Amino acid sequence: MHPLRHPKYAIAVGLLFVLVGLVYWLVPEIGHWHVDYAGVTMLATLGIAMALMAYVLIAGSPNE
Amino acid sequence: MTTDTHALTTEHSPVAGLAHDARGGISNPVLGMILFITSEVMFFAGLFAAYFNVRANAPHWPPTEPAELAEHFNLHAEPWFAAALTVILVISSFTCQFAIWAIRKDNRTGFVRNIAITVILGVVFLIGQLYDYSTIGFGLGDGVFGTTFYTLTGFHGAHVFGGVIMLSVVLYRAMAGQFSARHHDAVEATSLYWHFVDVVWIALFSTLYIL
Repeated sequence: MHPLRHPKYAIAVGLLFVLVGLVYWLVPEIGHWHVDYAGVTMLATLGIAMALMAYVLIAGSPNE
Repeated sequence: MTTDTHALTTEHSPVAGLAHDARGGISNPVLGMILFITSEVMFFAGLFAAYFNVRANAPHWPPTEPAELAEHFNLHAEPWFAAALTVILVISSFTCQFAIWAIRKDNRTGFVRNIAITVILGVVFLIGQLYDYSTIGFGLGDGVFGTTFYTLTGFHGAHVFGGVIMLSVVLYRAMAGQFSARHHDAVEATSLYWHFVDVVWIALFSTLYIL
């Protein structure tokens, strides 16, 4: 199995989106601007969806 | 060759344990369910986003207007019934997984028993949710809190209802002896859906009753 085909990389892809969501929350929070909680929620859950998609790509590839 | 490939798939593949075809990869039913669950994640994300947006922009949360409903809106005060429903759903996820493990070992008795328990727990959850609705003290039209609460929990309840139907079909087919250790893709797909529904409820319960 190619090292990149490990499921942990699917989680890493999801965490990238969660990280973007974190920045999207943290910047206005620190700057005392209006926090767009809807956007933060969507980005965080998009991380879950993208992790699932990456998992499908990894696990769905044939072994041969 | 086929045997070697199958051994590679079951022992070393990232999908070990999940149903998949002989060349490796994921079986069509499981793949379809994962794609469906992914879309469902974003569906519930939209509902949660609406809830958090409303909550962040409200002067008080839970709302104190109208005054006669403020007490009912305070779900944090009495989360016990919903907590009991959470426990029921979590247990049902365990029994569902026990059923999967049983059929993977070709233990059909254990499989049927655990699927039957899962169906019963799902029905109990739905009855409990209907009882909760009948006693909660506010309705769908009672302001933005009522709307978001019933939209979130209602859509989740509809998904549990769908899951119970799927599990019932699995149970019927299991009792007819249609599943084995080698052929149980539908069971794996249904189990994934049931776990997803369980996770969504845990997120809902945490958001509405605890946070």
